[in-house]
Amino acid sequence: MNFTDYTFLVIAIGTAILGAVCGMLGSFAVLRKQSLLGDAISHAALPGIAIAFLITGAKESNVLLLGALISGLVGTFWIRGIITKTHLKSDTALGLILSLFFGFGMLLLTFIQKQPNANQAGLDKYLFGQAATLLIADVYLMAIVTGLCLFVLLLFWKEFKILLFDADYTKTLGFNTKFIDVLITSFIVLAIVLGLQTVGVVLMSAMLLAPAAAARQWTNSLSTMVILAAVFGAFSGVFGTVISASQNNLSTGPVIVIVAGVFVLVSFVFSPSRGLLFKQIRFMKNRRDLELYKTLSFMHHIAETHEDISHPHSIKLLNNFQGFTRKTLQELEEKNYITISGLNWSLTPEGFEKASNLYNQNFKDE
Amino acid sequence: MNNAQVEIQLIASLVAIACAIPGTFLVLRKMAMISDAISHSILPGIVIGFFITQDLNSPILILLAALTGIITVVLVEYIQKTGLVKEDTAIGLVFPILFSIGVIMIAKNANDVHLDIDAVLLGELAFTPFDRLIWFGTDVGPKSLWLIGGILVLTLVLLFAFFKELKVSTFDEGLSASLGFSPILIHYGLMSVSSVTTVGAFEAVGAILVVALMIAPAASAYLLTTNLKKMLLLAVGFGVFSAISGYWLAHTLDASIAGSITTMLGLVFLLVYLFAPSKGVIAVLYREKQQRTEVSLLTFLLHLKNHDELEERHVNHLREHINWQKVRAKSVLDLALKNNMIVINKNIVSLTEKGNTFTTKAIDYIITNKDAQIEDMKDDFFLFRG
Repeated sequence: MNFTDYTFLVIAIGTAILGAVCGMLGSFAVLRKQSLLGDAISHAALPGIAIAFLITGAKESNVLLLGALISGLVGTFWIRGIITKTHLKSDTALGLILSLFFGFGMLLLTFIQKQPNANQAGLDKYLFGQAATLLIADVYLMAIVTGLCLFVLLLFWKEFKILLFDADYTKTLGFNTKFIDVLITSFIVLAIVLGLQTVGVVLMSAMLLAPAAAARQWTNSLSTMVILAAVFGAFSGVFGTVISASQNNLSTGPVIVIVAGVFVLVSFVFSPSRGLLFKQIRFMKNRRDLELYKTLSFMHHIAETHEDISHPHSIKLLNNFQGFTRKTLQELEEKNYITISGLNWSLTPEGFEKASNLYNQNFKDE
Repeated sequence: MNNAQVEIQLIASLVAIACAIPGTFLVLRKMAMISDAISHSILPGIVIGFFITQDLNSPILILLAALTGIITVVLVEYIQKTGLVKEDTAIGLVFPILFSIGVIMIAKNANDVHLDIDAVLLGELAFTPFDRLIWFGTDVGPKSLWLIGGILVLTLVLLFAFFKELKVSTFDEGLSASLGFSPILIHYGLMSVSSVTTVGAFEAVGAILVVALMIAPAASAYLLTTNLKKMLLLAVGFGVFSAISGYWLAHTLDASIAGSITTMLGLVFLLVYLFAPSKGVIAVLYREKQQRTEVSLLTFLLHLKNHDELEERHVNHLREHINWQKVRAKSVLDLALKNNMIVINKNIVSLTEKGNTFTTKAIDYIITNKDAQIEDMKDDFFLFRG
């Protein structure tokens, strides 16, 4: 595989753009708790592709994607209808639309395959995606849609942001929340439809979620998150394409999803403020501090009974107390709370002060 | 109908029943999307099981795959517990990744594995009658029939044995915990049954359509009844009806059986969604419209009661004053006239005796807002007739 090859470059740029736009809009889906909506929409797009093919008989991706867009939007609004008009919950509505539309789409696809029409081959690439079929025209389309998304995002940034974090407040400020809501949902649908050709119906939702979930771990600022998600998405797209192009028999979709999954895993573990690793480290540090203070308070308890607080006591005295080790004693000495001489320890005035205020909530530490 | 056709329909119906039972509880427990996650993520389990056993119907494969399903649930709950992302994102991340691993495993071993992705998504119901179970030299029927039959029997036994516990923990987790039924045990029990059923149904109807068979009948039934037993029976009924009619639809169109069954499920749901007596969309819209008219009527009567001046009660003025559209004003006026609440004399509207007492009662209700008072008002105050 030649990585400067024209076809390869087209595909790599295409998947990079796709990853970026998915990351951008995915951030909103994740924060709005609409993560599974993406899954439902991408499945709901399948019958649209099949119907568009049945009507036009054409295989141009633009026509098929238009069909996908329409059926994705129908699915989305049906989901909203089910949630608002009946007592069925959102998870049921999502699962319903997802499986019913997909099943209907599969019925149409198998129906098309049995038709005496040589043109039908290749529709099943929409199931798992085949980046190799990306043409320069498709990449232009992606770029245009991404530009449009970016424009709308910047134009309505304030509205999107405020709707995201406080929908009721947005309403009282007089914004048309319904319009903003429909706008952002429509763009999510658009991004999903755009990715169908590359990543496929089944896995498109991960493309939307994974970069955003990864980006969320590194920042608490929306703008940083959107940019980070776009970057993660673009890299997953390119890496995924490179890996799947260098091997035979690999659909692009699953590979991109796994690369994005690695981004998520790394973020979950190594993010400084939220990551599991640092959380565990902080947890252990807190526990050690607690034990340290427990020892200190025990010492304080003993020292209290003497007139001279710095009176030396034997280390053996601490033996019936679980919290002490050689290391904690050393650490206490380093902090200048106690002094150790031979087998005896004695509290310093500083240590005494610290220990007596240990459980005093009003006392400000440091 | 030949023998194979009967067998296909029988298998499809059994799958539908076996899916509808756990599906009902998943829908009630708001965990419908978990079934979607399980159905995708059992794929790597199936592929690994297939490498080991080389037989799609082997019990080891089913156990391995069901285990993957339970691992998914545990993983989703673990990620959720870390607080890094919300539950829905956790589900949305875990299953595509596991599914991708499964797809890649199939693709990399395409030459040794007689398992292709179409079969994963769609199942091969049409071929199930050809894989026979031979027992002591006699042909006792298709393997999948026995497989799914076994799973169904297991599900039914568990359902009857733990119906009470399931019911209580579904509707009131706190109560069930205080009564001594472990909600966690019931939760994982249900997850295990769903997982096993998904694997068993997988071969017949494919990964994603298992979800349809679990959710759609239960959701349709939920729109028709609020009684758990009736809901279970209705869900089973819808499932079996869709399975059999779906088979004949596929037969006519010469298309995928699983796709057709799902399409039938979709049609059933659409009909119930639109026409369900009290919870269907048409009923809901009608009720909302009715309530709007009734509220308007009440506003109108209150207005009449509060104004003695003639010009305030002139027919034309009312429309300007309360700012109603012409049509709505007329329908409200007609409704009031029909109920003998008002009389119109030379274009001046005034309350009748009946209208007057009715309005007083209504104000009483609105001010005190006590439920006890509605009881005897329900007869004459149609706003509260449900």
